[in-house]
Amino acid sequence: MTPAGSLLIATSLHKTYGHTPALEGADFSIHPGEVVAVMGPSGSGKSTLLHCLAGIVKPDSGSVHYNGRELTSLSDAERSGLRRGEFGFVFQFGQLVPELSCVENVALPLRLNGTRRKEAEARASAWMERLEVADVAHKRPGEVSGGQGQRVAVARSLVTGPRVLFADEPTGALDSLNGERVMELLTEAARESRTAVVLVTHEARVAAYSDREVVVRDGKARDMAGVR
Amino acid sequence: MSGHDAISGQDAPAEEPRPRVSVARWAADLAMGARFAVTGGRESWARTIMTAVGVGLGVALLLLASSVPTAYALRGERSDARAALGFQEDPKPGPDTIRLGQASTTYRDQDIDGLVMAPDGDSPPKPPGISHIPGPGQMWVSPALKKLLDSDDGELLRERFPYRTIGTISHDGLSGPSDLRYYAGLSHKTFDRGIADYRIDRWGTKNAGKPNPLDPALLLLIIVGCVVLLLPVVIFIATAARFGGERRDRRLAALRLVGADTHMTRRIAAGESLFGSLLGLAVGTALFLLGREIIGGVEVWGVSFFSSDIVPSTPLALAVAVAVPASAVIVTLVALRGIAIEPLGVVRNAAPKRRRLWWRLLLPLLGLALLLPLAGGFGSGSAGGDRKAYQAAAGAVLLLIGVTALLPWVVEAVVERFGGRGSVPWQLATRRLQLSSGTASRAVSGITVAVAGAIAIQMLFATVQDQNTERTGQDPHRAQLMANVPVADGAQARDAFARYRATKGVRDVLGVTEDYVSDVHRDKDDPSTYPEESLTVADCTSLREVIRITSCENGDVFLVDSPSYYGEGAGFAKPGAQVNLSFDDEGEPDLSRKKLWTIPASATKVKPRQDPTGGERTGIFATPGAFDVADLPDPRAVAMIRLDTSVPDATEYVRNASAVLSPTMDVMRLSSTSQSEEFTVIRKALFIGATATLLLIGASMIVTTLEQLRERKRLLSVLVAFGTRRTTLSWSVLWQTAIPVVLGLALSIAGGLALGVMLLKMVGQPLAVDWTGLATMTGVGGGVILLVTLVSLPPLWRMMRPEGLRTE
Repeated sequence: MTPAGSLLIATSLHKTYGHTPALEGADFSIHPGEVVAVMGPSGSGKSTLLHCLAGIVKPDSGSVHYNGRELTSLSDAERSGLRRGEFGFVFQFGQLVPELSCVENVALPLRLNGTRRKEAEARASAWMERLEVADVAHKRPGEVSGGQGQRVAVARSLVTGPRVLFADEPTGALDSLNGERVMELLTEAARESRTAVVLVTHEARVAAYSDREVVVRDGKARDMAGVR
Repeated sequence: MSGHDAISGQDAPAEEPRPRVSVARWAADLAMGARFAVTGGRESWARTIMTAVGVGLGVALLLLASSVPTAYALRGERSDARAALGFQEDPKPGPDTIRLGQASTTYRDQDIDGLVMAPDGDSPPKPPGISHIPGPGQMWVSPALKKLLDSDDGELLRERFPYRTIGTISHDGLSGPSDLRYYAGLSHKTFDRGIADYRIDRWGTKNAGKPNPLDPALLLLIIVGCVVLLLPVVIFIATAARFGGERRDRRLAALRLVGADTHMTRRIAAGESLFGSLLGLAVGTALFLLGREIIGGVEVWGVSFFSSDIVPSTPLALAVAVAVPASAVIVTLVALRGIAIEPLGVVRNAAPKRRRLWWRLLLPLLGLALLLPLAGGFGSGSAGGDRKAYQAAAGAVLLLIGVTALLPWVVEAVVERFGGRGSVPWQLATRRLQLSSGTASRAVSGITVAVAGAIAIQMLFATVQDQNTERTGQDPHRAQLMANVPVADGAQARDAFARYRATKGVRDVLGVTEDYVSDVHRDKDDPSTYPEESLTVADCTSLREVIRITSCENGDVFLVDSPSYYGEGAGFAKPGAQVNLSFDDEGEPDLSRKKLWTIPASATKVKPRQDPTGGERTGIFATPGAFDVADLPDPRAVAMIRLDTSVPDATEYVRNASAVLSPTMDVMRLSSTSQSEEFTVIRKALFIGATATLLLIGASMIVTTLEQLRERKRLLSVLVAFGTRRTTLSWSVLWQTAIPVVLGLALSIAGGLALGVMLLKMVGQPLAVDWTGLATMTGVGGGVILLVTLVSLPPLWRMMRPEGLRTE
């Protein structure tokens, strides 16, 4: 697939941690509503690519264009603002604020954007219902199962209506049944709202939910569209 | 997902029956725990070191506190040994007597003790710390005084000591390393020139070493002060023993997976804590030894100790050595009580038990019950002094511990009422506190005790201060210095005033020269019954400061009636009356060699006026035109000096001028109030202690906060990933600290006022709240919290970095 019409395009990304190179000239692009799986062995640079694409980490060199804006030239505050409004995130673990109830966790990105509590929690409840976790709305993350917790996290990532959802091993800590349910709900919801999904995973089973696969190896990304 | 999250939600499983465990098993488990404290890599070491440093700081402070009685005793012994007390009757001059004169002075607010001396014979007694009595013009100085004299700062002081230094006074002649002291030799001829002297035949006194019984209010102040200062230290040690608790729990879960039972894991945890606290004991001892050396070189508010004086009392040191490791183990076991360590993770009770109020209320009530019977009965002379002191201490401890015990309950009860309303930072903070308020309460409890105690002390303090602060009657606006100049005759007095007037920094000198006169028109056998009156000679400017006159010209004489006469013939000093100026060696009117003067008929009666030193003079007041001051046979000259405040060191120039007039002359700085020495020392000690305690609490809170942040590093990174602003999390940290602090301060004000009221009742004083003290203490407590929050912000911001998301 060509970068033309892409929502997010990364070109020739380089990133080194200390003396260890994580990315060495990686390219990437994604279209609105597309689900792209980023695969690769452990330590290949998948997560670093995701962090660079999301503007969490600044690459040492290369460019990341989002909707016509160069992310690498934005300030920290501007990138944070972008993440709050346009991007959503799901991680493998440790992402829910333990002291807030599940519904408060889902409403948190809206509240950070200035939405009033009542409205934020109403929208959060709707998303929780959609992701089949409405019954745990008032429980704390420590009181729900791993699968439920991850669905709460997915609801939180989608509640702001992001244009891009970044999911880093979203099912890594779940059993296969729970993992599959989370993936079904996530991709279904994303496609309905035309949200692009960058899905980092090392499991082929999870990658199967994507439209396209990109393999990262030795810091370089290779589009597998033609291979598949 | 962590084991913690994965399986919580269930209740902790029922406790398994406790099997019989051999001592060897116990020892093996404890040893394993100790091994974990050091073999778990950097993280284990970090936790062990944090605990050791925390416990060590507490231990060092406890050891220092337990050294205070010995340090003061040793200091007191040396001061007693060098006491040169005059007796009512001086010993007759002989080979083993020495003639002394007090020559203490002050330099830039530092008191310098000094004696001038001249031996009467070949074997005079010598003060401790010197090898021989200095000859005329020679001087022994303390090391601190030598340092001062040799420094640029001491340049002005060098002029005051026209002696050659022949050596330094050794350790056994000094109260502390910062002791400023000298012994100078004078010739008998110099002594004879009007120097106030006395003789001794030995140094030291047996009686001086026995302190006078302290005022009950001061005693109470000290007892409560010690309780207030040491309780936070104990709380701090308990907090330090829990450092890194969450990570340790996860490690213990891994042990359960490989077959350790619940009791074993607890013993292993105890072993880990025990090791940390034993290491803490070692660190504490090292810090104590280091602190001892530092204290040896530091003077705080005029008090200093030699390092060798800082020796902990053996029973107290033993108590610290046993109680600290034991309490660390107990704290660990109590902390583990609310959780179950399971093979797949740590299960915290999903619905934590509500904190019970009854026993928390019982403690302060018990404290009040102990204090109440002492109301009005802690006064001096009351029976059962020791028992009452213990009762007061126990009551104060229970009341203050009660305040601390109430805090978690109050915090829990209050935050429970907060809904999810408010801003995101507020919501994050209140929800966090609702989930677990224990950690926050523990951190704040140290401050709460210190503030509650300090408020109570301030209340007692204000009352004691009123009792111990006396109005001197001096008026520092009219004159700033006063010097009693020893003079042989009136001409010397005139010269002395002229010298002061010519001194740099002196604006004006009010000089009065006084002598006594007696009635001459009585013919009695016993001259001692002759009434006497004082004759003061001064110029009009000076006279205006001591009597109420509207007009004055040179040549005028004024009369002020004494309010009461001890002899017969009151009011003999009348216009036209003759008076006798001659007195014999015994100070009796000399009738055989009368020196007569007639009070001019023009002398007018006036009222007295308080002079700048607060004294009121009566008798005859003559201007130099009416009476030549040189005719006063045995005068005393008093100079009241007005300084030019724009001249730096003006006071020191005056003191130097005085030293030229007489080596034993001191200049007094006039002040409207004076405080008892005893009171000042206690106040200083309390401030030193309070500062150290607050710093310790601050350090503990910083460690606890940083640890909490470290535990949440990944979560912070996730929050950053979805765009959370720094300010949002910074405010949440501030609220999270501020809520328990505000509640803690409110509780400490209530507890402090209750204790203060009890203490005032105990010493029978009227109730008075020292609002300034209360505001200061509350402010200091709040300031420490603000400081802790500020210090924790940079690490918080550092942890809000995306690096925390990396898992490889």
